[in-house]
Amino acid sequence: MTEVVEAQRIDHTDHEAAANDRVMFGFWVYLMTDLLMFAVLFAVYAVLHGNTAGGPSGSALFSQPQALAETLLLLTSSFTCGIGMIAARKGNKSQVLAWFGLTFLLGLAFLGLEIKEFAEFIHEGHTLSSSAFLSSFFTLVGTHGIHITSGLLWMGITLGFIIKRGLNQPLVRKLALLSLFWHFLDIVWIFIFSIVYLMAFV
Amino acid sequence: MSKRVSSFDHHKQHPTAVPYVTGFALSLLFTAIPYYLVSHKVVSGTTLVTTILGFALLQMLVQIFFFLHLGRGPKPLYNVAFFASTVGIILVVVGGSMFIMKHLHYNMSPRDATTKLAQDEGIDQVGGAKTGACSNIGINHRVVIKDGKVSMPHTEAHLCDTMTFINEDASVRKISFGTYPNHDAYGGEIELSVRKDHPKTLTLNQMGINLLFHDHLDPAVTGSFTVK
Repeated sequence: MTEVVEAQRIDHTDHEAAANDRVMFGFWVYLMTDLLMFAVLFAVYAVLHGNTAGGPSGSALFSQPQALAETLLLLTSSFTCGIGMIAARKGNKSQVLAWFGLTFLLGLAFLGLEIKEFAEFIHEGHTLSSSAFLSSFFTLVGTHGIHITSGLLWMGITLGFIIKRGLNQPLVRKLALLSLFWHFLDIVWIFIFSIVYLMAFV
Repeated sequence: MSKRVSSFDHHKQHPTAVPYVTGFALSLLFTAIPYYLVSHKVVSGTTLVTTILGFALLQMLVQIFFFLHLGRGPKPLYNVAFFASTVGIILVVVGGSMFIMKHLHYNMSPRDATTKLAQDEGIDQVGGAKTGACSNIGINHRVVIKDGKVSMPHTEAHLCDTMTFINEDASVRKISFGTYPNHDAYGGEIELSVRKDHPKTLTLNQMGINLLFHDHLDPAVTGSFTVK
């Protein structure tokens, strides 16, 4: 009986907090499984990166300044996304739009650089089917690029809703999930930058 | 009844940009250092690989603590436990794949197999590269191993001479090249398994001064040879 009374006394914010925790944990589980998929792609790359089938190796293909530029864009976008999240928790709609808008543009610039890089490789005749090295490279980096693309779509749609409906609680929750996703993609990129791009020049 | 604070809402009380600014500054630093080391070739080899991986891990920790705020949610920390187990699985998958494939490569190195086959068939050139196959075999040099001692600690030979390893001990000798525990290849051979009454002959088809061989099972059994 006391338990029932206790349960009835749990107020609305407690219910909401518990619901938010469940959603966050569910999304975290998704991120971890996604991380496992990336780990497998990294393992494939680590094993196959030397098998160039007589074609160019990473050090001949990759551009160090371009990889650095992509990294800085994504790191900065991860930062602006975090600042945007603070604004969201304060309920400041215009700041949310500004910071997440900036995050969106940085992400878009990152994606543009990556597409440019891929286009150059393919134009020079180095495609997905040229060698085991390039197959694993395009699969690993391309999978990250697809994640960035879906993150940008998600961000665009959420920002559209915020403009239209204002900054309500469900939208703040969506932004929180989105920022988790964005920081996660940043972590994956750090390993791509280190293992794929930097280590090619060792 | 104390109010629960959601992991999602834990910033509600004191939303501050400080951890983000700190995290951002650290992540820029941890990007700049390995980039500088690589682009200016300050260090190289294993040191560089370890350094790059080290900074990648630091970078990951920065993202996790300053941006994801992992570990600051409500207790018990199921998300931290889940993350830790994921890292464990990743180590097994990535480390295991690399370990297995390295050994597979080592035992089935395609280049050595091709070279070996070409040498056995007397083909002196494959794809423009010399295989070291000899058309005129020179004199034979005998290396006898008895009671764990090598009869000829150093052999002076000419290109295309042969060298025969004779083992008079009961235990099998795994003759490998280079210093122990290396497994360098010589003439397409990585390891010669020499048993009693079963000598193995090697064609000295690569020039070199003071090349080393050793018994991989007994590193005390070692010797050198020069091929001119």
